[in-house]
Amino acid sequence: MKAEELKQKFEEAGYEVWLKEREEGIKVKTKRVSVWIKVDRDAIRDAVEHFIEVSDVYPHFSIISASDEGDNVELNYHFTMGFGKLHEEYSVNFKVAIPKSDLVIKSITDMVPAVIYSEREIREMMGVEFDGLQDKRHMFLTKDFPDGVYPWRRDETAPKGTNKLYETWKEGAE
Amino acid sequence: MKYEIPVGPIHPALKEPIMIKCTIEGERIVDVDVICSQNHRGIEWIGMNRNNPVQSIYTAEKICGICNLCHPACLVIAVEEIADIRAPERAEYIRVIQSELERIHSHLLWAGVAAHELGFDSLLHYVWLVREKVMDTLEIVNGARVPKDTIMYGGVRRDIKDEHIPKIREMIEYYRQAFDKLAKLFLEDKTIKMRTREIGILPYEDAIKLATAGPTTRASGVKKDVRQDMPYFAYPDFEVKAITPDMLTGKVVGDVYDRIIVRLLEVKQSMEIIEDALNNMPKGEILAEPKMIKLLNQIKKAEGEAIGRHEAPRGEDIHYVKLKSGFEHLYSWKVRAPTYINILSWRTMLMDMQIADIPIVAASIDPCMSCTNRVIIADERSGKEKILTSDDLHRLSVKKTRRLLR
Repeated sequence: MKAEELKQKFEEAGYEVWLKEREEGIKVKTKRVSVWIKVDRDAIRDAVEHFIEVSDVYPHFSIISASDEGDNVELNYHFTMGFGKLHEEYSVNFKVAIPKSDLVIKSITDMVPAVIYSEREIREMMGVEFDGLQDKRHMFLTKDFPDGVYPWRRDETAPKGTNKLYETWKEGAE
Repeated sequence: MKYEIPVGPIHPALKEPIMIKCTIEGERIVDVDVICSQNHRGIEWIGMNRNNPVQSIYTAEKICGICNLCHPACLVIAVEEIADIRAPERAEYIRVIQSELERIHSHLLWAGVAAHELGFDSLLHYVWLVREKVMDTLEIVNGARVPKDTIMYGGVRRDIKDEHIPKIREMIEYYRQAFDKLAKLFLEDKTIKMRTREIGILPYEDAIKLATAGPTTRASGVKKDVRQDMPYFAYPDFEVKAITPDMLTGKVVGDVYDRIIVRLLEVKQSMEIIEDALNNMPKGEILAEPKMIKLLNQIKKAEGEAIGRHEAPRGEDIHYVKLKSGFEHLYSWKVRAPTYINILSWRTMLMDMQIADIPIVAASIDPCMSCTNRVIIADERSGKEKILTSDDLHRLSVKKTRRLLR
């Protein structure tokens, strides 16, 4: 299935979809295509289910990335599609915004087992709670890492005092 | 009677700490749990809070010592897409040559480690002796054996000069001659075959479901290679084909032996790509914007998000980058190394195997982490604990080889 087809299928199902392209190669020109799909927080399971349903092969999960957008935390679920053929693969990315007042999203571990490490990582780094995630231990941070401190956040929950070395150097202090 | 044995967290032979907790029944492994939370260096945090984007290239190089080109490559691909920077043609070719040199040295390093885990130390020394040739070539081209520090937004910092080319060709010729011997040693040796055939099997369906990457997934018959599927740099020119074990043996088993085949064939493929690249390398500039201040300003003004993907020796690397106009660091940066996703497959591979197989199975995905430091065997009945060191584990592995040889 080509990226345009997937875009059309998701648009028919009522999602906002856009494509990004970038040309690569010197003598042989080809395009790196990525499909971006905006998904409501409550619809993530429906979107991934729809994705698995319409794809001819099982989607290859890559990673969940996260950014702190002020009032929201934005998650991107990155997948790739269409491997095995020359220059035909493209990436598929689900973009979800979760309000900081209610940082909960449904887990998709039962549909995509490979997502478990990523959900555990986002949980400890961003403070997003995954509803239905069985294994809630720390993934990369140590067991005794304090609660309520989230390294990837840009608000009051970010770790404090970590930039001290750089700040001292910048100010020219002792 | 079930025992739980933690393997790890530190092993001096590998680089990063990780713990594998195996539940065993007699000699048989019945459950595996991987515990990663041993050491987190906060590289992404540094990129998002402390460094400017150019400094982050060098931080990215320090993510991994062995494949120190793939992480900056991913970052550069993503940032170049956001800021619309195009590298000159010659730079794209140099990036390909550097990537393939890295693959050769990484795969040979792995082959040595694999031989050592099996107790075949003479082979370890032979493979690492052969590997010296590519290390010397890297030193000639980059000025250092390991760190390359060559990737930059919009090109590379160091040219491959005319006097370097005969040295690289000489290296290819050297490996062409060494390859047959290596292939014979690894693929026809009775001991290696016994210890790796039907060991640590990862079936095709599991490789897909667990989203494994690189040689680990290709050894299970999944034809997935970023250089083939979604090429970057100058890779579209080379029409790279994903290598699967059936190309040599006509069948896919998905065991440790198949992972050896894939890596060996990839060394050969890398040699061909380098030769092709040297023959067709365009002339010209190597950097689109040599003035750092101007380049930094251009990146600072850019806004958007992109994904950079690169086929590292261990598998696919992915970076997600988000830039905000006027923000002096990367706004968001997520690094996914291939081992991150490949360690998930350990559970499937180790199931029903023996303790003596843990070292080679764990090593077979070429993990960028440590594994077999100490093992505690706790006897539930007597409450006694016995600690096995990495040497003990290694001895167990060697003992199994001897036993099979009898």
